[in-house]
Amino acid sequence: MASSNNKPPAVSLDNVSKAYGRVRALKNLSFSVGEGQFFALFGPSSVGKTTTLRMISGLVIPDEGRVALHGADVTHAPIKSRGVSMVFQSFALYPHLTVYENFAYPLREAKVGSAEIDKRVKETASMLKLGHRLERKPNTLSGGEQQRVALGRSLIRRPNILLLDEPLTNLDAKLRHDMRAELKRLHRQFGMTIIYATPDELEALSMGEEIAVMRDGAVVQKGTPDELYERPIDTYVAAKIGAPHINLLQATVAENGQSLKTGFGSFALGRKLGAKAGDKVFMGVRPADLEIASPQSADLSAPVQLLEPLGDVTVVSLGEKSDNLRIVLPESRASEIKLGDRLPIKIDTHKIHVFSAADGLALR
Amino acid sequence: MADTRSIWEKLGFRKASGVGEAGWGHTLFAAIISLIYFLPVLIIILTSFKLQTEALAVPPKLLPTTLFGLIPEQYVFSPTLENFTSVFSRAYVAGGAAESTGFDRFFFNSIFIASTSVLLALVIGTLAAYGFSRYALKGNDTYLFIILTTRMLPAIVVIIPVILMFRISGLSGSYLGIILLYTAFNLPFTIWMMKSFFDELSPDVEDAARLDGSSEIKVFRKICLPQVLAGLAATFVFGLILTWNEFLFALLLTGVDTRTVPVAMNQAVGGGGIGVLWGLLAAIETLFLIPVFLVTFFLQDHLLRGVTFGTVKR
Repeated sequence: MASSNNKPPAVSLDNVSKAYGRVRALKNLSFSVGEGQFFALFGPSSVGKTTTLRMISGLVIPDEGRVALHGADVTHAPIKSRGVSMVFQSFALYPHLTVYENFAYPLREAKVGSAEIDKRVKETASMLKLGHRLERKPNTLSGGEQQRVALGRSLIRRPNILLLDEPLTNLDAKLRHDMRAELKRLHRQFGMTIIYATPDELEALSMGEEIAVMRDGAVVQKGTPDELYERPIDTYVAAKIGAPHINLLQATVAENGQSLKTGFGSFALGRKLGAKAGDKVFMGVRPADLEIASPQSADLSAPVQLLEPLGDVTVVSLGEKSDNLRIVLPESRASEIKLGDRLPIKIDTHKIHVFSAADGLALR
Repeated sequence: MADTRSIWEKLGFRKASGVGEAGWGHTLFAAIISLIYFLPVLIIILTSFKLQTEALAVPPKLLPTTLFGLIPEQYVFSPTLENFTSVFSRAYVAGGAAESTGFDRFFFNSIFIASTSVLLALVIGTLAAYGFSRYALKGNDTYLFIILTTRMLPAIVVIIPVILMFRISGLSGSYLGIILLYTAFNLPFTIWMMKSFFDELSPDVEDAARLDGSSEIKVFRKICLPQVLAGLAATFVFGLILTWNEFLFALLLTGVDTRTVPVAMNQAVGGGGIGVLWGLLAAIETLFLIPVFLVTFFLQDHLLRGVTFGTVKR
């Protein structure tokens, strides 16, 4: 647990499994989220993020395992009692009701008085800049406005826990950027616990105070963005976190157990690996940890295979055969480079990650 | 600049960019088609205002007015309401006193039986359709198919067992019997139709309502039903027309008191040995058209979306 206080976590899932027919959506999934945290659930589509959120909300009951909110077991508790609200990827606005009635719906269900409803609806609408849209039906609103209605409807009854299921996926790039800032602001303002499911690593890294990386219905690794970046537990996490993606080279452990033989030559690690000499491994090195050096101090040199200009930086791929190394260079440097040029490269050996070729787990 | 319009556009057709924006070409086309379809109905309505001799006249009497001298006198008839009064009461013997024909009762029967059975089928069918659509139980597809098979046999094939069942159970000639039968007949159509509407709704919306604190019943009543109003309207009208026009079962299973208009109509115009009373028949038909016309008229906004199964957006 990242939070240092003694409060029980806002959400904790303990060895939860769920199958739909023969498809096992979640397999022994466990993680916990601290009170008031902005937590990102990251993984590709159909990895089980939505099922996980639905389980926390109570829409899905796990086959096995335990769900606890604020320390209390709610595995089989009714939805209503949980104080959880959720923003769906599809927004799921009530299409037959006006924006006003969409906002009012949760309050009406909670038997809030009509004067109070009116006050809170107008408050929420003005907070989300929807005051002029209250009498409209959702399908007459823009995507961004629909998104804000969905958000407002979830916030209006002041939930302790807010679940966001890929809330920005259906928006265009500009709106997505604005909404990210908006969500951070709302989190600061209300201080509720937010669990944010996203398939976008940038969203996860920029928004999550902690991130759980999911794969095949289970959490592979949980940690802060830095932890995931610096110490990925396996090749899956290493490849998912960080852009451009980490370089993974096939390698063999040398006789001394302290250096790796690759298609680009041998690299001394300066530390002892938990692997036998001759073991097949992957050597992982982030593009940002490679730099062009003088020919004398270079660890390797390789020809340029591909140049991908991205505006201010260019991704340069080096190599001759299937193995290749990507390196990120500022545009000013990259403009001098031509295809086929041999570049001398220096590797920060402390930043080299080594993964077992058999199971992909990190060797430290 | 060269005229890039297609031949159709030059003729007044244009791509409609929204409802109510068709060009006059489309409008004219639609008007002609509508007229062709509506012509039989128009003839029935006009005939209902004619005397028997005018109804059978050769050349035909076309209109009740000369249209300011446009139409020659020989094609014009003088309208009368006699047919309409004799729908409800007339003398069965020439020169005799007028007697009630019982048609007020038959109209009530038709309205009562059709609306009750269609509404009943709508209530039961909508609940069943929601169940089929939302709860994926084992064998759902089989049940749905079995329900559909009840509509595969022509009525005439099942009529004998139905008559026997009605005899034995004493339902012959009763309101209950014919209403139950029509309800059963409307159910498959209602279930299939409503299921297709429920299938189109986003389940996320219902889950959102559950998270907002709604019980299952409220989710159905406050979230699902309002979204399928168009489907309810379309299903109601289709069922109503089907039931309203039903003849065979009504002929064999209704009694004197529960007789519906289609059956009574047949008996009213055929008897007497003087041939079909066309004016009277047309008058009954005209009156018979009115209820369905009114229902369709008031539900027309929903119908457009309903009959196109939601492919046309509001």
